[in-house]
Amino acid sequence: MDIWALGIYASLFLSLYFEVFLFISFFERRPYKKTLLKPHRYPTVSMLVPCFNEERTLAQTVDSLLALDYPQEKLEVVIVDDGSTDRTRAIGEELARKNPRITFIHKENGGKYTALNLGIERSTAELVGCLDADSFVAPDALIEVVKSLEADPAIMAVTPAMKVYRPRTILEAMQAVEYTFGIFYKKMFDNLAALNVLPGPFSIYRRDVFKKIGLFRHAHNTEDMEIAFRMHANGLKIVNAHTAFVYTTVPKTVRGLIKQRTRWSQGFLQNSRDYKYMYFNPRYGNFGMLVLPLGLSAFVGGIYTAGYTLYRSASFAWMRVSDLWATGIPPHLPVAANFTWYYINTSMMVFLIVAVFCMTIASIALGHRIAQTELRARSFVYYFALFGFIAPVWLARAAVGAMLSRDASWR
Amino acid sequence: MTWQRYFIAFVITAAIFGTAFYIASRIDSARIADIRSTEENISIDILSSETQFELLGNLDCQTLSQNSGLSDELNSIASQLSVAESNLGSDNPEVLQLKEQYSLFEIKDYLLLQSISQKCGIKPVYILYFYSNEGNCPDCSRAGDVLTYLRETYPGLRVYSFDYNLDLSALKTLESLRKVQVNAQNQLPAFVINNRAPAYGFKDLAGMQTLIPELKTLATSTATSTRQ
Repeated sequence: MDIWALGIYASLFLSLYFEVFLFISFFERRPYKKTLLKPHRYPTVSMLVPCFNEERTLAQTVDSLLALDYPQEKLEVVIVDDGSTDRTRAIGEELARKNPRITFIHKENGGKYTALNLGIERSTAELVGCLDADSFVAPDALIEVVKSLEADPAIMAVTPAMKVYRPRTILEAMQAVEYTFGIFYKKMFDNLAALNVLPGPFSIYRRDVFKKIGLFRHAHNTEDMEIAFRMHANGLKIVNAHTAFVYTTVPKTVRGLIKQRTRWSQGFLQNSRDYKYMYFNPRYGNFGMLVLPLGLSAFVGGIYTAGYTLYRSASFAWMRVSDLWATGIPPHLPVAANFTWYYINTSMMVFLIVAVFCMTIASIALGHRIAQTELRARSFVYYFALFGFIAPVWLARAAVGAMLSRDASWR
Repeated sequence: MTWQRYFIAFVITAAIFGTAFYIASRIDSARIADIRSTEENISIDILSSETQFELLGNLDCQTLSQNSGLSDELNSIASQLSVAESNLGSDNPEVLQLKEQYSLFEIKDYLLLQSISQKCGIKPVYILYFYSNEGNCPDCSRAGDVLTYLRETYPGLRVYSFDYNLDLSALKTLESLRKVQVNAQNQLPAFVINNRAPAYGFKDLAGMQTLIPELKTLATSTATSTRQ
């Protein structure tokens, strides 16, 4: 037996374990259905829109916030321009001039976390939300979040269900499937009290969070991940409101996607290093015992599997070419006439891969059922055909970046 | 946090692994059964050919030469055995037993072919090919590729392949009769072409074509795959 294949079996075991765990969690507590119930009380909300060169989408983002089904006097929008060099500032000032519910702040470029912190300091509402300027919210999203917060005073922050905004291209369709999978596993992480990130698009915090644990940090350009780690470290509860939908634009080029995911993945590694004491520490519940270790193992497993597959494919191709060269046999295709079931690969590994594949499909289907995402059959084809080729690139880049302690760039 | 959930997830994951192992094993068993079934058919075919030979003698050479070929079935078994070997290992007792049986069929077919060609005056072109998959013959796989290609190109060519290391007395006798002796000078693969003295070492396609001038007498066809 190929000794290196043991690494693949280990990766498959951990992948299956992770998915089985999520399914157990699903059957223990199924996601509730959206209701028409209204909150008992409408707390004041400051929605922060940090932006840097977002002239294309800023107005639409703010419009979606103003269109939220929420009492007007309870909701303010704070646009924080982090030293944009395009027309973002002009657009933001114009929006603020037209609508008194909008506050516009311009500052020198200092990074997203500085824009968020300035917005938090300048606002006074009970709840502080963040909406990246490339995302748009569903009209009832805030009400759904407030209902979640109302359910338990111990809940300190809420994440939404994120969907891809109008997935049209191959790359967008691929990410739409991935986000749908994300909707499922984030809800299951919620069941396990182990959400690992408070994403930029429409995460809402009680103001007390910042009083208790401080403001956002640079955190290797993943401030939304670090604050989730810090909240777990301080025992603050995060939940996922799967009925609160937010639509986000996703990278349209492979280069852009790799850059974005390298930042996320590297952020995970570097924040993991900063919070390494939480790994396998029962004090931090499922977050320390399951989500962090399995997240890291998925990272290592992804790189290993890609490396192994690449090595095997290259070896096979090289062997075939050198065989043809050495034997002098003219290149020819094998004839399918003699092909029977006998020659189909039916090794144990194949069945395990099929099991992982089926569970992934089931997870995506559940994510789709939870949030009614826009998926087509071809989206699955793109996802399963492309993701495995692109993801190892950002995983490898992130690993190198983390080893060199070099922060990944935003753009 | 409940440890019970961790344990249940582990048990279910282990069960999935166990099921995958079980299904793969069952399919491997089905493969072995498939080979065994084909070998039983071959056994009957050989017996039938031998009986037919004894009944007809040299009275009806056309019928004899038409019905004496087990080449296709043997080739089919060869490639199936190759898959079974790579899945279950070449030292698997069942694989070894099937391989021994296969080798015996090949020897019987070879002997029958000899008898028919002598009685009927036909001139078949055949190769006894001796290989090893114990790691001491790095070129055997390539030699197998060359022979497969030749067999695809010349359907009339008979290739009898034998694992040199197989512990089978009939095979050892054949090796001795055909003077196949592997030593420091004579390395596997070895080829005995139409009962001439053995040729040792890897030969590429052109080399094999030079070694078998009789190929020119055989008709060619479109290639089909019957890998060793």
